Amino acid sequence: MADNKNFNKVSVIIVGAGPAGLATAITIKKQKPHLDVCVVEKGADAGNHNLSGAALEKLQIHQLLDSAAAGWKDTEQAKDILARTIDNDNVYMFLLPKIKIKITPFIKIAKKLGLGLGQMVHAGDYLVSVSKLSKWLASIARQNGIEVLTGFSVEDIILENGKAAGVFLKEQGLDKHGNKQPNYAAPEKIYADVVVLAEGCDGLITEKFIEKAGLQRKDNQLYSLGIKEIIKVSDQQYKAFGDGTSIHSMGYPIWTPFIGPAMFGGSFMYAMGDNKIAVGVIVGLDFKYCDFNPQDALTHFKNTPFARQYLSDGQVVEAGAKMIPEGGLNAIPRDRETGDIGKFNTVIVGDSAGFVNMLKIKGLHNAIESGMLAGKAIAKNMHNTNNIAADYTRLVDASNIYREMYSARNFRQTFVKLGATFGMPFSIISNLLPQWKAEKDYQAMTSAKYRYKGNKEFDKDTFTAMAATEHREEQPSHLTILDPKICIDKCTAKFNRPCITFCPAGVYETVHDEVKPANPSNCLHCKTCQRKCPFDNIRWTVPEGTGGPRYKNM
Amino acid sequence: MSNYIVLVKQVPDVSQITDNAFDPETGTLIRSRLASVINELDCQALAFANRMKQISGDQQAKIIALTMGPPMAAEVLRYSLSRCADAAVLLTDKKLGGADTWATANPLAFAIRKIIEEILYGDQDYFIVSGMQSVDGDTAQVPGQIAQELDISCVSYATDVKYDKGLFEFERIISGGCQTVSPKATPAIITVAKYEYPLFATFAATRKANKIDLIQWGADDINATGIGVAGSKTRVIRVFPPGKTTRKCCKITDVKDFAAKIFESNHGQSQASAQMQQQQKYVLPAKRKPFDRTFEGTAKESEDFKLLGDILLELGIEDVSKITDEKKAIIISKAANRFHAKALEDMLAGFMVSQPSYQGQVWVMAEHDGPAMHPATFELLGKARELADSLETKVGVVIVGDKVEHFSNALIAAGADIVYMTEHPILKEFDPKSYRKAVAGIVEKYWPQIMLYSATPTGRILAPMVSYKLNCGLTADCTSLDIKDSSRKQQIAILMQTRPALGGNVMATISTKDSKCQMATTRPGVLKRLPDDPSRAGTIIKCPVDIAENDLSLNILKTDHAGSSVNLSAEVIVSGGKGMQSRDNYEQLLGGLISAMRNKLGTDVERGASRAAVEQGFIDRAHQVGQTGTSVGPKIYVALGISGAIQHMIGVANTETIFAINSDPEAPIFRQCDYYMAANVEDVIPQLVEELNKA
Repeated sequence: MADNKNFNKVSVIIVGAGPAGLATAITIKKQKPHLDVCVVEKGADAGNHNLSGAALEKLQIHQLLDSAAAGWKDTEQAKDILARTIDNDNVYMFLLPKIKIKITPFIKIAKKLGLGLGQMVHAGDYLVSVSKLSKWLASIARQNGIEVLTGFSVEDIILENGKAAGVFLKEQGLDKHGNKQPNYAAPEKIYADVVVLAEGCDGLITEKFIEKAGLQRKDNQLYSLGIKEIIKVSDQQYKAFGDGTSIHSMGYPIWTPFIGPAMFGGSFMYAMGDNKIAVGVIVGLDFKYCDFNPQDALTHFKNTPFARQYLSDGQVVEAGAKMIPEGGLNAIPRDRETGDIGKFNTVIVGDSAGFVNMLKIKGLHNAIESGMLAGKAIAKNMHNTNNIAADYTRLVDASNIYREMYSARNFRQTFVKLGATFGMPFSIISNLLPQWKAEKDYQAMTSAKYRYKGNKEFDKDTFTAMAATEHREEQPSHLTILDPKICIDKCTAKFNRPCITFCPAGVYETVHDEVKPANPSNCLHCKTCQRKCPFDNIRWTVPEGTGGPRYKNM
Repeated sequence: MSNYIVLVKQVPDVSQITDNAFDPETGTLIRSRLASVINELDCQALAFANRMKQISGDQQAKIIALTMGPPMAAEVLRYSLSRCADAAVLLTDKKLGGADTWATANPLAFAIRKIIEEILYGDQDYFIVSGMQSVDGDTAQVPGQIAQELDISCVSYATDVKYDKGLFEFERIISGGCQTVSPKATPAIITVAKYEYPLFATFAATRKANKIDLIQWGADDINATGIGVAGSKTRVIRVFPPGKTTRKCCKITDVKDFAAKIFESNHGQSQASAQMQQQQKYVLPAKRKPFDRTFEGTAKESEDFKLLGDILLELGIEDVSKITDEKKAIIISKAANRFHAKALEDMLAGFMVSQPSYQGQVWVMAEHDGPAMHPATFELLGKARELADSLETKVGVVIVGDKVEHFSNALIAAGADIVYMTEHPILKEFDPKSYRKAVAGIVEKYWPQIMLYSATPTGRILAPMVSYKLNCGLTADCTSLDIKDSSRKQQIAILMQTRPALGGNVMATISTKDSKCQMATTRPGVLKRLPDDPSRAGTIIKCPVDIAENDLSLNILKTDHAGSSVNLSAEVIVSGGKGMQSRDNYEQLLGGLISAMRNKLGTDVERGASRAAVEQGFIDRAHQVGQTGTSVGPKIYVALGISGAIQHMIGVANTETIFAINSDPEAPIFRQCDYYMAANVEDVIPQLVEELNKA
């Protein structure tokens, strides 16, 4: 029996059971089996809050699996989750709905010439569901003796003289007005020797930690929003599409030359097996159209003749939305003095640190690698945990992560600075241009209107139902509008309340002439609202554990 | 100080049914393809037990979770440990599998005895707390049967608990109201019908729960007397998908027509009862032509018997006991291998039996609240009449209480031949223990072949106790009852009891076995009351009972028949959504429509709301209909200003007729309802009220 143990104390606490956090946990446990390694995750199950395209490079995931689970290649999960490799890689430029140019050959030439653009080649990558991948990694972690506890929301980090002592969990059992119900559970404190922040994009604790511990970003973090659906199509359509096919596209409906909208982003279609095709759009949150809903862009893309041939009459079986950190190398949070990606015994890994290579628009491989490097640094320095952040940072800066991020360091910023139309050609030589400084996404909002309006409003209710999102209804809203007066006095006249339009879950509504997060229980945890409100007037806090979407195959 | 044993069950997650969970051939839901979760009411039971521990201020009290199931049921014990349980017992054994409620309650009761003896050192001051029912079986029988096996008090349908001067007082739901009671003694079993504050897992307890050793017992550890398939007293004959309703999606432009459709839908018979009407009336084999076995439990068996009967007639065989092996070979070849030698033997043996398997009358348990008879009793009498006529026997009705003779005429007029009556001052109010004693005494004396109860809060606690006491099988919450043969099993004229299971996603037909009487509870409102015939003659048989103060198990502190709570099981629900614009609009428009419908339709009408309407403060959450509110299945559902989001529509799927009014002509609800008007609610509702009142 384990009666006398202090169950509120662990050696390492990892916030977030995504690929980065689990890679960290597995690496530590393999090297130091006696340590209590614990991963906490706010989703009801591991993988529920993970969403990506996703094309996954093989090198890093193989390294991780080789170290964690001998013989993994023969497991049922490997045969299911890693079943598809891209063998038909296509990149298109859509000039108009019906006019497109295949630019794959140019990219292949760029790759041969060693140009940055060549990184857009995806052939040979796995096509994966990151929800399934995370769930699998969690089960491997558990088999290795790691405690992966799901359904617990972390509210804050406990810092003592800059050093982390542990984390606070979110209190549970408040009613809508903040009163304690009979089942109220006070916030729990978890003490840990080491804290790993692996929350994913725009991490709540990460951002608090950056502020409290005095970390900074050289340049603002930039975000984009990804909207994704999985569509079940007919046998013929799937066969015509091809089981190893990936499509990436630029242009319409995100950008069309001179006449149309000018935003950063693109669309994708991936074969997912079982007659399912993943389709999505990614739109930079520096868009300037106050009436733009990224979901409309997805509808327009799905309505192009090219997409229709594969998707028409298909059934949407799952849907979701998530942000991507796009600021790149200069948006990695580092200690003001030491440059550490973390501090003392706290490290930041994966999307929380922003390890996304914008030339590839991929970060999954870097997330896994950063986790393995963090795990290595932690296992090595448990006797002197103050050295962990420095050691981890040394490893990252000497790794492929840094090399990749360096080569893409000015790519996204060039679009911000020169706009989508001029940014596109110049982005190819972005590293020869001055390193731009980008304004924050929300500052880009204008009263301009998006050119391609849909025939009817996007059905957000069905979208959230397909994301299977739910929260306990009787808790206080986890979304707050800081100053409601701004919405009425300033935003309504100037931008007509864009949050109501861009929130993919339809959380915001006008109730009695006031903008309110009226449906917080529909929230998909994408956090676009707190990054795109043109007056920086919205804050996303963490709801009770188990709340949020329940992605299974995203 | 009291300890607590909480009964928890692992159930399939019927709230998340995926496409591949249905058998493509039969359309039946396959249980193993659903995820497993803890039964939601058992979560509430855990919280309820924890609440009892908290309010009594007894920090030393132990909470022990107990479950019976396959090894994977350990998950629900870990769930319990991560919330409030101090220890957990897993009762698992292949021998315990395939059990019905009788053979579930029995081993659980024996396990409880063992827990008391070995874990709680023989301390008899304990409460058993459980959810009222599980979402998969949905019978609500096991707690009552456990109470009977352990011979302890039972407080059913509890919704809240208070602690006053060293005593627990429970708020509970009764038929048509609520009641405050206190058990006269411990041990007692408390079944929780609704407690809204399920506990949250804590980080520390979850870690502990993952590391603690569960106590695991098998069948041999508990020495139970009736387990598994052999110990069960019911058998599942067949499982089939429920009839799918397809919505008409009919657009209506004239308010007059809309009102007419509402009246029409109200007068139309409920589907379940319509289904029952279509069936051919059962005739005893003695009255049929030779080899006529039309009334088998499954269609396939009827066909097989028909084929065999035709062959026998063709071959000129009259006495099936004298068929030679040679002839048998001919029969099999003529039947083109539709059945094999073994099946043929069974069927021939079946032809030799024509005597009914059960003897005795068909009985109904009458339910009353003192001055008034519960309407479900009359519905049961209608069904009992039909069954008894086919079986050529009499209808009896059992009535227990204080001064109840005045009900006799009404019962006889509604179809009863004999009224078995027990009157005693002690029986003035319903107490499970005293009523069980009285009713079981009468049954044991006369032994009817069928006994029917209504599945009301009273019936659902009385029936399991009586049936368990008398070693009889019991089927809960039936929607259809038929007399059929199971000739191959040599059973003639047995009661086929059909009921929904797995949250209404499958239907199961069940028969009783190893019992002297076939017992069932039936869902109120499904069966049809016969027209009263005041000229009917009947007899009254008075049944004296030896009963005293110590046969009461509960102190009844307060009974409230008003039933102030929201009744979303009403026949008609009128719901408002965000389209109602404001609280005033909601109040005024719905209020007007509801009172008009109540007057004109003569039924219960309740208000409902979509989640959006609740969020906007039009009405409180108790009225919320849908996935996160209450799932409803009324006769008529009227959706006003509701767009028809999937989350809402899931919650009204069982409705017979859905009406919708919405100003948006593209509203999704128009594709999921029967009749709709695309118009502004503020304009239409006053007109509709006028039309209804005109009629």
